[in-house]
Amino acid sequence: MIHLVRFKLAAYGRSHRLLQPTIGLFVMLVIFYSTLTPPGKELTAYADSAGLLILVFAWAARGLLDTEPSTQRLISMTAAGRPGREIGAGLLAALIVNLGLAAIAVGFPLLHGFAAMPAPADLARGVALHLLGLGTGTALGALTSRPVLASPAVSMLVLFGGYVALLLISLTPVGRLAVPIMPWMRAANAGVLDTVLLPVSAATLFWIAASLLLYARLRRLNP
Amino acid sequence: MRLSTVSFRYSRRGPWILKDVELTLPSGSVVEVTGRNGAGKSTLLRLLAGFVPPSRGTIPDRPAVVGYAPDVFPVGQPFTAADYLAHMCRIRGVPPASAADLAVRLNATHLLGQPLGDLSKGSAQKIGIIQSLLAPPDLLILDEPFAGLDEQTRAELPVIIGEIAARGGAVVVSDHQNQLRDFPGAEHWLVADGRVTVGALPAPAPSDARTSPSPPIPSAEPSPSSRDVPQGPSPRVVIEVIVDADEADEVEQKLRAGGYLTRRSS
Repeated sequence: MIHLVRFKLAAYGRSHRLLQPTIGLFVMLVIFYSTLTPPGKELTAYADSAGLLILVFAWAARGLLDTEPSTQRLISMTAAGRPGREIGAGLLAALIVNLGLAAIAVGFPLLHGFAAMPAPADLARGVALHLLGLGTGTALGALTSRPVLASPAVSMLVLFGGYVALLLISLTPVGRLAVPIMPWMRAANAGVLDTVLLPVSAATLFWIAASLLLYARLRRLNP
Repeated sequence: MRLSTVSFRYSRRGPWILKDVELTLPSGSVVEVTGRNGAGKSTLLRLLAGFVPPSRGTIPDRPAVVGYAPDVFPVGQPFTAADYLAHMCRIRGVPPASAADLAVRLNATHLLGQPLGDLSKGSAQKIGIIQSLLAPPDLLILDEPFAGLDEQTRAELPVIIGEIAARGGAVVVSDHQNQLRDFPGAEHWLVADGRVTVGALPAPAPSDARTSPSPPIPSAEPSPSSRDVPQGPSPRVVIEVIVDADEADEVEQKLRAGGYLTRRSS
């Protein structure tokens, strides 16, 4: 399956689709860190970055999964041996791209953005939140990719609308049961992230897994 | 490999494309699939290849190595033909020499350095066929493989199909052009009204220009004796269509694509 992942990444890279989310990422990072983050506030900045960059991660995942023409996906299924491997390879490739984007998002403020280096524990928490963000973005991107939503206009609308809905729902009392983006931002800002990190991670991972299973199911019916 | 009471529809409330299809595809068999446009041929091929699960029924004993060549190869990919085939070789776990050997055999070596997007339909078709053959397939599915191919490749493809069948692989070919009509032992599956009818391939018409040209058409008016020609269970009507010689191939291809039998008389 690793060779199919490489094939998808090569196609994505050569198609220049990666440029769009990468430019979006750097624009957002420049805005986030246009003023230096004061010492002690690094985790707050990371929490906001992880929550807001979900949109970029979703955009990148959608772009990658849209790169392969539909007939090529069928060819890839036979080449890989079974359809599940092609579906898994696509998701893995999207996760790899988003890991790279998340690494930039975590590393960028270390070079320019933080007035002081964050404590190792805060750096680790920032990495964890970005992992939750990229997983959420990958799932949202997969569910709005062409095999699931054939119309590009509808797809973009659902992608942006879905992200806004995630944010709004996470503001409500049931937000902790959905993808709790706002709760993790608030908790980081209040300095109590450790108390909510476990339930926040559990809820987010649950929704990521459910979304990816739904994507796999939809792809089996519409390869 | 078998299709056991297989039915398929694309959505829960959609029309049935295939209904209660019972088929057996033994090792070493060669099958030509025909049917009108929209009859469900491509759906049948997708079920055979395992791209989609049947809505009802089962398809047990699908071979491990499946080769698939689509009717229209997807040229909208940012690779040269050689790069693309190299990726396919790695994915299938076969040496790159497999692609080179097949390229020689299908007269496609000059295409390898070209970007996929620059290939003509026939050239792209060759790349599609090559990738389907990289690993010796236990099941080879070819969707309209002869469309746009040059004469040399058109003659070579049945030889390759024969080799796969002789090795024990099964080959299923959707083909409006009836290129396998002379293939010994080939079966014929006719897809119509959601059913698949199994039979032997019809023998080529004696007046077929590619085997034995018939006399020139005397006039645009069909003779009484040529109006009704019994072919199969229901009588067929012969309609003569007169076209310029340089358009003959294109018109014939379109008629065959529409599911009609054609023969040339000059």
